[in-house]
Amino acid sequence: MSNLGGRLSRRGLMGHKALVGTLMLLVAVASAFPLIWMVLSSLKTPAESMQIPPVWIPRTPSLEAYEKVSGVINVSRSMWNSLLIASITTAGILVTSMMAGYAFAKYRFRGRTLVFSVLIGTMFLPPIVTLIPLYRVIGSIGLNASLAGVILPNLANAFGIFLMRQFISGVPDDLIDAARVDGASELLILFKIVAPSVAPAIAALALFAFVYHWNSYLWPLTVLQGNANAYPIVISLSRLLSYNRGAINTGLVMAGATLAVLPPLVLFVFLQRFFVDSIVSSAVKG
Amino acid sequence: MTSSYRASAGIMLAPAVTLIGVFVVIPMLLTVWLSFQDWSTQTPFSSVRFIGIDNFREIFGPTSIGRDFKGALVNTAIYTGLSVVLILPLSVLFGLLVYQRDVGGGTALRTVLFSTYMVPMIAVALVWSKLYAPTEGPINQMFSLAGVGPQPWLSSPRSALISIVFLNVWQQVGYFTVLAIAGLTQIPGSLYEAATLDGASRTEQFRFITLPLLRRTLLFSAVIAIINAVQVFEPVALITQGGPVGSTNVLTFHIRRVGIERAQGGLGSAMAVMLMLALIMVVCALFAFMNRRDSE
Repeated sequence: MSNLGGRLSRRGLMGHKALVGTLMLLVAVASAFPLIWMVLSSLKTPAESMQIPPVWIPRTPSLEAYEKVSGVINVSRSMWNSLLIASITTAGILVTSMMAGYAFAKYRFRGRTLVFSVLIGTMFLPPIVTLIPLYRVIGSIGLNASLAGVILPNLANAFGIFLMRQFISGVPDDLIDAARVDGASELLILFKIVAPSVAPAIAALALFAFVYHWNSYLWPLTVLQGNANAYPIVISLSRLLSYNRGAINTGLVMAGATLAVLPPLVLFVFLQRFFVDSIVSSAVKG
Repeated sequence: MTSSYRASAGIMLAPAVTLIGVFVVIPMLLTVWLSFQDWSTQTPFSSVRFIGIDNFREIFGPTSIGRDFKGALVNTAIYTGLSVVLILPLSVLFGLLVYQRDVGGGTALRTVLFSTYMVPMIAVALVWSKLYAPTEGPINQMFSLAGVGPQPWLSSPRSALISIVFLNVWQQVGYFTVLAIAGLTQIPGSLYEAATLDGASRTEQFRFITLPLLRRTLLFSAVIAIINAVQVFEPVALITQGGPVGSTNVLTFHIRRVGIERAQGGLGSAMAVMLMLALIMVVCALFAFMNRRDSE
């Protein structure tokens, strides 16, 4: 970056570098500390959790806390529920967003701007605004306390449509017209020709949707009231609340938190390039 | 392709428009309609009784319903204001740290910062409730190493809300840092070169080039940060239950408690309508403010 080659003496530059380096280190440590502490604490024995001054790094890492978590909540069932919710929702969002994004990017039709504006407007609506009637709507179609009730209302969202429209707009019309001349149907064109050329954006949307719905809490909590068999991991975790007082159960609570954090974090570490690119494009192009 | 693809447009839009229509737009309109009705969430929509603006009178009235709602409105405003005021400057500072090329490791720092955004809020709440623990909690332990006495954090009405703001800032700042970096990459390097030739110091370059050209990014960030902040729910539901003495009773938590748990659907809807109006007003005010500064 050119501005940092500004007028600084050699000593000034060294001092500047030291300051920047120190700041970066401090920020990284502060940012990473809670999660590192979470993992370390999940590996401590109850005795170690209680010690004052605290033991930062467990001397004999043990998985005892993880075993105890499975005694309190049904870990495999909850993880499975989370996986179902997140992956089915993501698949739905991908299909509906690609279709609508394609229509907004490549068709001219009456009311296009109006429909698009209304859809995008919903992006800025906090979920609590619709929660009460939505709860009743889902109940009245008999989907209360079921995974279907959690999934159905989220199968389409404005952010996905917006993102897909942005990227599909960049696909050359010639490519699409050529396929039309060959007699390909519009759906075939979308999934066989347009989709591959916006693959990175689709990957980004998939990851966003998956992580968002893996993590989502308010809606499943509201719909699933009482049906513990259908709880995703984030709701099951709140059962650990009663173990939250006192230091003795810190390991247990942190083991549960680690389990819930792991899938989204692992996905992120491997695929962060897509995440960052799509945020940047949604901000810059928007 | 105008007319021959009209049918295709309909087919392509149908799934998304139907889903968003039925599960977002109609419920939003229902919220507005229900806010003028006396209605229990346990009963069908057909059991409503029109009562005009009584719900709104009640939520701003002198009874406990009014006091609780006004408290939640104020708490949410404080929480949102503090979150934005902390997140925006930090995101610019961290963005500069990631973007600069004098010291390596920028991309690694970005990864660390952004990773917190992937963590489910419920896990954030669990971890931070332990970090904040009064005696054995790491934060107070580190304070005592620095010679500072233990702080009450979540257990005192004076510090509980700000403690939740801190955990929110920790979780979200990485996302806004990425937005800030996106804004920084849009600023032409030639501006800095010219400024350097003119003898402008780095502080001056930041003040007169970086900040003004980041304005659009910051406006976008502010809007997103506000909308995210009013959604705070998990830490309150999990740790504080709105307490101590109502100090963390925020709107999302309060509206759900009234509208779902107490099944007072009409009252809850009136509160949701007020939240929506407040958001629209704040966002419009932000845009008006920016436009005025643009035209000056």
